[in-house]
Amino acid sequence: MNLDWAWIERNLSMIGSLLVEHVILALVPVVIAFLIALPLGYLVSKTRRVANVFLAFIGIIYSIPSLALFVMMPMILGTQILNPVNIVVALSIYSTALLVRSVVDGLRSVPAPVKQSATAVGYGWLRRLFRVELPLAMPVIFAGLRVVIVSNIAIVSVAVLVGSGALGKLFDLGFASYFYTPIIVALVLMLALALIFDALILLIQRRTLPWLRERPA
Amino acid sequence: MVEGTAGMNLFEYLADPANWTGPGGIWNLLLQHLGYTVASVGLAAVIAIPLGIVIGHTGRGSFLVIGLSNAARAIPTLGLLVLVVLLLGTGIGPIIGVLAILALPPVLTATAAGIRGADHEAVHAARAIGMSEPQVVAKVEWPLALPLVISGLRSATLQVVATATVAAYSSGQGLGRLLITGNATRNYPEMFAGAFLVAVLAIVLDILLGGLGWLARRHASPGGRKMVHDPSKIPVDVVA
Amino acid sequence: MKTKQAFIGVGLGIAALLFTACGANNNPLGDATSPQPAQPGQTSAASAPVVVGSADFTESKILAEIYSQALKAKGVESSTKLGIGSREIYIKALQDQSISAVPEYTGNLLLHFDPSATATTAAEVDKALPDVLPSDLKSLKSSAAVNQDVYVVTKEFSAQHDITSLEDLQKIAATSTLGGPPELAKRAYGPPGLETIYGAKFKAFVPYPKYPPKISDLDSNKIQVATFFTTDAVIAEKGYIQLEDPQSMILPQNVVPLVRSDVAENQTAVAALEAVQAALTTEELMELDKKVDNDRQDPGQVAGEWLTSKSLA
Repeated sequence: MNLDWAWIERNLSMIGSLLVEHVILALVPVVIAFLIALPLGYLVSKTRRVANVFLAFIGIIYSIPSLALFVMMPMILGTQILNPVNIVVALSIYSTALLVRSVVDGLRSVPAPVKQSATAVGYGWLRRLFRVELPLAMPVIFAGLRVVIVSNIAIVSVAVLVGSGALGKLFDLGFASYFYTPIIVALVLMLALALIFDALILLIQRRTLPWLRERPA
Repeated sequence: MVEGTAGMNLFEYLADPANWTGPGGIWNLLLQHLGYTVASVGLAAVIAIPLGIVIGHTGRGSFLVIGLSNAARAIPTLGLLVLVVLLLGTGIGPIIGVLAILALPPVLTATAAGIRGADHEAVHAARAIGMSEPQVVAKVEWPLALPLVISGLRSATLQVVATATVAAYSSGQGLGRLLITGNATRNYPEMFAGAFLVAVLAIVLDILLGGLGWLARRHASPGGRKMVHDPSKIPVDVVA
Repeated sequence: MKTKQAFIGVGLGIAALLFTACGANNNPLGDATSPQPAQPGQTSAASAPVVVGSADFTESKILAEIYSQALKAKGVESSTKLGIGSREIYIKALQDQSISAVPEYTGNLLLHFDPSATATTAAEVDKALPDVLPSDLKSLKSSAAVNQDVYVVTKEFSAQHDITSLEDLQKIAATSTLGGPPELAKRAYGPPGLETIYGAKFKAFVPYPKYPPKISDLDSNKIQVATFFTTDAVIAEKGYIQLEDPQSMILPQNVVPLVRSDVAENQTAVAALEAVQAALTTEELMELDKKVDNDRQDPGQVAGEWLTSKSLA
């Protein structure tokens, strides 16, 4: 038979551990990217020429399909191909490429008069960054975070072609013998994860940036 | 042979001319990959551009567009491909169909946004001098929207190049085949060849379309005056 | 201030995530649930756990489970690492000790280590095998159960072009496409062998990591010849014609456990595995394959049931 829902019950623990693995492989790169993209984006946003060159370079990295990155990474770094670190590193590079763009755009969207009045009141650059610029840049950065998390969840499954892939392994399992159930389970779980994390970021955004709610959409 | 060391000549598969010829050779796989890309992005454009123009111009249905691009990002392309091949076989039709579906959202979103964001003064002026609606669209909104449309096509192309790589898993065509065969036989140079060529293809297409977009932008803003309001600061799509 | 609280919250969340990530990385993120295999210099061979690996196809996984559970039943600690990949990959895993046993097939194993082997009968293969293995690997007793690679064509194609044997392939090879697993391209019984032994050079070879596209393409005549395993249920289901091999290009493939030398020195382990080998038949193997492939049962489950039915567990 090609569809067997009882299979799910028989394999709950495997599905569960793949789910956990998937979340970790998708989220850790986002965290790493966030930590790198903030300072990097700040520095880039301060320049003009360098920014353009740098962002162009980032754009190129970004255009490389993730599978190609998964494969080239171990060969360049010298790690074992099956090492999950490859996936995390490759996805971190990817996520950073996207988030830097968001940080730069976000910081650049802060109106100059606002920055100037902060300086006029006596804020140093650090205080101005954390009290004024970043909060105002957050909507754009949060939007970037949502994009990164959702796409990472989908991209992780592609890694099954190189032996990893977490929930992607269920695609492999189903495809091997015309078995639809694992494929559907994996699709549903990944979409659910995407929805949940997207909503989570949105929730955090609503909580921490209350002034946005007054503005019309 | 030690796993994954950079000391090994990773380029040796690419360097061997015998690997380039023949039905399974690099040229053929490259052409297949390019063919899939052009066909599916073309198909998507044929559907998405007119639809996007209508949505952008009339302002109706924009909710559809926003939700669509967010949802599309979440689709695991491998799962979709596998499902389609199991259900519809390995024919070129189903594969191009899937790729076109994945290419639709970026083009649709960009077109709608571009038309919507076309400089309102220019549009009003056009109406004021008596242009009909279709003329307004064709003569004013479309040229102004073109840069964004091209950026949408660019995102779509990258998405398709990436997904076509994965498609080799289910149908054996395209550059992804080098990756899969190389992985199965632990032939690192072959795997690297696949990854490298896919990356180069993506970068080249990205630069080409980027250049096209730059030209379109210059055409749209001849005096340097910004004629298009770019509503989205975030890249329109992410490639899988 | 709200923003400061938000940042502190995010920072703590990040720290928490990183801690869990560190913890999780200690868990092998693959499908292994294993204690570490025997490391050199550890306690005596008798107590070292045996990690049984498997290739990526159903039958290999079932056999690995059978071996592993048979070992456990006799008191030898064991676990499995299923779906490692093709022969190149899991032999390497054997040699670097990430696994210590794997179910193999005599003929192909012989060819892997000695591509110029001249053995053609099962007896000859059995005799030649131990001599070609590297010093750290040993083969145990082979079973009567057999699973050959086999070339097939559809019933229609066979009737249309009068193809019933590999010797007939040279009639149509130049205009035909061959399909098989990616690694077949380099195998002695793959396209190279077809060319040298049967004079058949195919127009193209398409690699299929999985069965469904291969079956679909064969049925729709996108490929004309494909390889399967003799125990695959699909051959009977689709009525494919298995091509004869008069020149014995494909060697006899009896199931045989390939183990590390320290496992071979473990009397209990060897006895357990050889009992399995003696009890296994081709028909039963096909039955087990069907239960997993068609009825979607778990390899571990059907392995356990089979062992129980044979009073081996």
